[in-house]
Amino acid sequence: MRRGPGIAGLQHAVRTKEQYKVAGEEVKKNTLQAMHEQLAAFRSNLEEFARKYRADVRRDPVFRAQFHTMCANIGVDPLASNKSLWASALGFGDYYYELGVQVVEACLASRSLNGGMMELPGLLRAVNRRRGAAAEPVSEDDVVRAIKKLRVLGGGFDLVTIGGRGYVRSVPGELNLDKNRALEAAQARGYTSVAELAAAAGWTAGRADETLQALTREGLAWVDDGAPDGARLYWFPCLSSAGGSAAEEQAAAAAAAAAAAGGGGPEQSSPAPG
Amino acid sequence: MSSFVFPYFHNYPPYFTLQPVKETRDKQVALWCSLILQYCQHTKTFVLDVQGDSALFVNKGINRKLNTEARVALLDELVVQGRAEWMDKGKTRCLIFWKRVDEWAAVVTDFVRTYGLSDSVMTVDELSNGDDVRGTELYGLHPEVLTRALKLLEAQGKVRTFKGATPEELGVKFV
Repeated sequence: MRRGPGIAGLQHAVRTKEQYKVAGEEVKKNTLQAMHEQLAAFRSNLEEFARKYRADVRRDPVFRAQFHTMCANIGVDPLASNKSLWASALGFGDYYYELGVQVVEACLASRSLNGGMMELPGLLRAVNRRRGAAAEPVSEDDVVRAIKKLRVLGGGFDLVTIGGRGYVRSVPGELNLDKNRALEAAQARGYTSVAELAAAAGWTAGRADETLQALTREGLAWVDDGAPDGARLYWFPCLSSAGGSAAEEQAAAAAAAAAAAGGGGPEQSSPAPG
Repeated sequence: MSSFVFPYFHNYPPYFTLQPVKETRDKQVALWCSLILQYCQHTKTFVLDVQGDSALFVNKGINRKLNTEARVALLDELVVQGRAEWMDKGKTRCLIFWKRVDEWAAVVTDFVRTYGLSDSVMTVDELSNGDDVRGTELYGLHPEVLTRALKLLEAQGKVRTFKGATPEELGVKFV
């Protein structure tokens, strides 16, 4: 295209540019259109996949976890909304809702014994016990997802990591850095003392004492004055197998009692913490 | 008698220290009180000696035991629940009602009916230690508890009691 001399040439150039622009828009529009159509097809394929494999997704924790990973990779959240097509295709809304309720019940049942903190494997055992042998098994991955959904409820439900291990917390109240450090120090044996914590964390005895007392007030720690050397020990039920088992035993007993009472649906947990 | 299986908490050291935080202590006391009743039922123990080194209060395996103050606090709670009674002002011995008096009365009534003992007469001693009750729930029943059950039955018009030379010789006629 030659740019002719004078005004005619200029007008020509402008017109050509316009035409290119319009043509470009057309191309863009067509491409976007094509993309939309492709995405729509893709989404419908994915939903078809979900419907077809619904039973497998529900029954097999490993398959379920892989399904979630696949969805995450393509930017889809099957749990996004109860009312979404996903929820009805997979029944996920009900599934995770029900699991969330079971998590809450398991936490509440043992709360007065462990102060509202439970190791994830312990929570998993408690939840599977509540579900009974006939129900679809749940994995730690499922429980973690349910807890993340529970966060929106408030009330303190959240995942906490201490010393690389995962716990579920079911009471509000800050687990500040000092308290976290204390729990870390106690993790090895399930208990610690003022002297041990002060030494491990490099704190004054006063700071260690205050932290342990705060944790005791919150019910996360129990005191023990029976040690041979007489020094007061602070035990954390959520950290040790014996303490966790005591709490789990309670939770199991509560679940059994609820089941015997003909439970379907959430029951009143005992006793309601003040 | 099979050996008693202690619950998990009996193996967890802090349970042997009376907890200072009320919500925690309430839960601890509730668990201990249940355990005391279950243990006494299993071992057919009717009197707990506060100072004794019973396997209930002492766990050698973890080197912990409840101190006297804690033991008294737990038994006091059982008294409040109507499941125990101090036998002395000094709170050293405690009578445990792992079955309530009215439940024991029902056991006596059952025994009378099962063995067709209407119109017979027996002494408290025979009713708790005699050959006739060997193998039944009544065997080994503490005479004080049995006497109360019988008095309850008397008030209900189901038996008549009459004094013997000693409390063990208290006689009872089943009507």
